[in-house]
Amino acid sequence: MWRAVFIVLTTALIAFAPAARASDGLAAVRTRGALRWGGDIQGGEPYAFQDPQDSTRLIGFEVEIADALAQRLGVRAEFVQNDWQNLIPSLERGDFDMILNGLEVTPARRARVAFTRAYYEFSEVLVVRRGDEAVHGLSEMQGRRVGTLANSFAYELLKATPAVDLVLYEGVEEPYIDLEQGRLGGVVLDNIIANRYGLVRPTLRAAAEVAQGEYAIAVRRDDATLLRAVDDALAAVANDGQLRAILARWQLWDQRQATLTAAAPLPSSPAPTPGGGLGMVHGMLFLRGASFTVLISALAMSLAVAGGLLLSLARRYGGVVAAKAANFYIEVFRGTPVLLQLYVLYYGLAPVLTLNAFTAAVVGLGLNYAAYEAELYRAGLDAVPIGQTEAALSLGMSRGLALRRIVLPQALRVALPGIANDFIALLKDSSLVSVITVVELTKQMTITAVDVRGWLAPGLLCAALYLALSYPLSRLARRLERRLLPVPA
Amino acid sequence: MSDGPVLDVRRLCAHRAEREVLRGIDLSVARGEVVALIGPSGAGKTTLLRALNYLTPFSTGEVYINGHHLRPGMSERHDAATLRAVRMRVGMVFQSFNLFPHLTVLDNVMEAPRTVLGLEAEAARARAQSLLARVGLGDRADTYPQLLSGGQQQRVAIARALAMEPEVLLLDEPTSALDPRLAGEVLAVIADLATAGQTMVLATHQIAFVRRIAHRVLVLVDGVIVESGAPTQVLDAPRTDATRALLGRAD
Repeated sequence: MWRAVFIVLTTALIAFAPAARASDGLAAVRTRGALRWGGDIQGGEPYAFQDPQDSTRLIGFEVEIADALAQRLGVRAEFVQNDWQNLIPSLERGDFDMILNGLEVTPARRARVAFTRAYYEFSEVLVVRRGDEAVHGLSEMQGRRVGTLANSFAYELLKATPAVDLVLYEGVEEPYIDLEQGRLGGVVLDNIIANRYGLVRPTLRAAAEVAQGEYAIAVRRDDATLLRAVDDALAAVANDGQLRAILARWQLWDQRQATLTAAAPLPSSPAPTPGGGLGMVHGMLFLRGASFTVLISALAMSLAVAGGLLLSLARRYGGVVAAKAANFYIEVFRGTPVLLQLYVLYYGLAPVLTLNAFTAAVVGLGLNYAAYEAELYRAGLDAVPIGQTEAALSLGMSRGLALRRIVLPQALRVALPGIANDFIALLKDSSLVSVITVVELTKQMTITAVDVRGWLAPGLLCAALYLALSYPLSRLARRLERRLLPVPA
Repeated sequence: MSDGPVLDVRRLCAHRAEREVLRGIDLSVARGEVVALIGPSGAGKTTLLRALNYLTPFSTGEVYINGHHLRPGMSERHDAATLRAVRMRVGMVFQSFNLFPHLTVLDNVMEAPRTVLGLEAEAARARAQSLLARVGLGDRADTYPQLLSGGQQQRVAIARALAMEPEVLLLDEPTSALDPRLAGEVLAVIADLATAGQTMVLATHQIAFVRRIAHRVLVLVDGVIVESGAPTQVLDAPRTDATRALLGRAD
């Protein structure tokens, strides 16, 4: 019986696994009639993004390059959306044929994928606030918070810069918002991003170009035929002026790009260095991430437990206005994604209320979970018979005293399993706060996964840590329940 | 304390969902008096008792209790002080006990003296222990009410009410939920209280018991007191058909 189940499952797994990759990638592209290229439209204008006039259409200078390349290969270009940080793992999985999305050439990446010649020469621009006149380069950023995109060229650069407090983002708009708000001392990102998203803000200025590099197209290492074909196509596009026309159309042509036509394909990269296992360093980072997870969850849950109680009491005893307000709160916070609430709290409210990331994470999760806890208290309060209140009142207790001493302890006992359950859920939901730059356990895992070039080991370690946190919690909840209810009613 | 009635009820009317449950009740209870309230189910006995400490609001009439004045339209919020003052001096024993399941037997009895009267823990404990001993449960102080029999639970409830040293104790069919043997334990405690001079108003179906301990019997039918007087008079020589029907007499 179990053997049969095992066979069925394995067969299913194999069937749904990504199709084994043809060693001749070019032949596969020709057969398919489409060149699939991966990118993340969240990178925004001018790379590859939705046409504001027609959201079904994708535009951007990379879209035009992809079309030009496909045309040379006699096929059509087909865009595949993929989270930018995970473009390389997805390429390796075979989700698309190549990456064409502002992927900077770095030694680490060259060890992992094969790059064509460059199609754009960029610089890394340090942007600071206008008031910060003394800043002329990274050396003035020591001991300050500097933002950039996770796993970008600038990320590698800043990691190698001593004494910089690195803050990681997933979108291009957010680091500049935080810089304006004073939550960062500077932002280092590619000049295209700096120009379009940072320097359009009148309060910010470019302090320095701190590095230079190039965007190139990446294909799988074993895809020699496709690499050659794409590189040849790119050379042709560059040499006949088409690339220049595209870049010029997007206001990206400058003196630096003059070298592109003369560019040779990048020399073949050195053999891949082994992925490198998880070391002590990673272990310590994971523990640090886990302690952030615990701290944020515990503080947020305290807020939620207190806030939820207030909400449920307001709804029950607070009179019409307070009850309506509490209901409104609960419906809004339960009815919208916590991720959205975190964005609004951290970025949306930034002009009027500048919370630091940690506070915003605790408050955001706490406010959201308060709505859920309020519902649990409601169920608990409903479960206490009216006779309990009457008995308390008949002894001369005030309504408040009756509530505190007689009704709430019994209600809490009913609500407790749900609250404990929510705490465990919150422990995991706290991973969402990475969108507002807090590096907790899950975020640490994704960063490490890129570092060690593998998801499995960091993923398992991360899961083990979550379990190690949640299991004692559920045991504790059961003990607490027994203490609150020594004998079943 | 004055020598006037502990409890004085005048022209009391109460409605429940449009129906008039009490229709002009007049009642005066003297200190130390034991008044029994008998009548068929649904006659309004429970409503009357609950009106006396305003757990159930009434629509017209007045209640004077221990120097305080209860009137129609009082609210838990705005008249909290008056209601609390009344309830501190009026004990209530419920048909379904309503003990606090999250507290031990001892804590059930200690709770109000501690939190309402502000007694020191030691004083409250001593008072609770002696009351538990008085109702025959001195050895069950540390257990939880759910582990006791119904009769034991009701005796704890009586001790809990007595711990506030009430001027008057209201008992709402205290033995209706109990089988005869357990009811007997509870009735013995109530008889003991009567002997000790505790003022009580007791709604019950236990006619024989009423005959034994009550100073006065009221017959409540359809929200009206149809007959009242000494037990020998009301129970042995009923003057109305309603009372005769209630006592199960054909004559």
